[in-house]
Amino acid sequence: MGPTYQAAANTLRTAARPTLSLRAPFIARVQAARCISEEAPRKVSPDDPPSGEGGRMSPQNLTRTEEGASGGQPKHQPDYNVAADYRTSNFSPVPTRVMDGSEPGLDTPAAVLSGAPMDLQARTVRIYRPAKTPTQSGTWHGHHWRMDWDVLSKGHRWENPLMGWQSSADFMQGTHLNFNNKEDAINFATKQGYEYFVQEPNERKMLPKAYATQFVYQAKKLKEVRTK
Amino acid sequence: MVINPTYLAVRTRSSRSFDDARKRVITSYREWLRAAPEVQSMYSLNMPVSAIRTKIRQEFERHRYVSQLKTVDVLLFNSHQEYQETLNFWKQLTHVLKYFRMEEDPKAKLPKTFIQGFLEGRN
Repeated sequence: MGPTYQAAANTLRTAARPTLSLRAPFIARVQAARCISEEAPRKVSPDDPPSGEGGRMSPQNLTRTEEGASGGQPKHQPDYNVAADYRTSNFSPVPTRVMDGSEPGLDTPAAVLSGAPMDLQARTVRIYRPAKTPTQSGTWHGHHWRMDWDVLSKGHRWENPLMGWQSSADFMQGTHLNFNNKEDAINFATKQGYEYFVQEPNERKMLPKAYATQFVYQAKKLKEVRTK
Repeated sequence: MVINPTYLAVRTRSSRSFDDARKRVITSYREWLRAAPEVQSMYSLNMPVSAIRTKIRQEFERHRYVSQLKTVDVLLFNSHQEYQETLNFWKQLTHVLKYFRMEEDPKAKLPKTFIQGFLEGRN
């Protein structure tokens, strides 16, 4: 295992990891590659034992010494090199990242184990509290948190050419998941590898009102009672 | 009365360590590679054995960077389950060919570049 083999294996490793080779600026890539080659328990060849700490997502790989103005921001570019699964179709969006089980701090990499399509990791999910029905006073439907899938821009609905029925390629359309609280919903989304955003609810402002405030003494000429 | 387990059944076990898991993964991989010509003849697949072996390698590589032992255990179980189902002829041609969908169906691939995706009209 001479120096040429080491260098070739290093190049292969950096080339095979798109998170390093495509997204990082050149200087960061060089720094990260040097960091990789300096540590001891790294996979150089397939015969080496797997690195138990976390593969390419371990903290050593993620430290970058040179970052541009957008350092630390999430990278929104789609990753065209992910391994697609057998449910990828014409309408599948391209994901930014696919969970591969090497994420540190994740209890259950459910995206790897559940057998769900990879498309679901490409789609954004909205976590929100549905508003109370404005036509009624009851708040019975307004306490849980709901997870909704954002609509696909292509293939979410078209007219069937034969009968005119509404067809769809979006298998998550009309699917809601309900949770008791926001943390449960967020944990589910991270576990399944979904891109999510949380929409905070507009809380109803209830002021305590009393009939007696109309008769409270105010020194000015016009009595002001705030009811909102 | 003795209950005979089905052919290729394996008792469930957990890996003791990453080394143990690595040995099990490599054993499973070798079993799959050895079974590739058998799979081709059983299901009358119209592809060379090397294509089947490449697909096996691809499926194993998909989970190369898993860092948790329990996840590796579940994946090993799934791999052996597929192996048993395939070699016992419990599967049908559809079930085997679904792994080759990307090669057979030109529409089932992700685009390679932004421009290609844009021209296809992708999401």
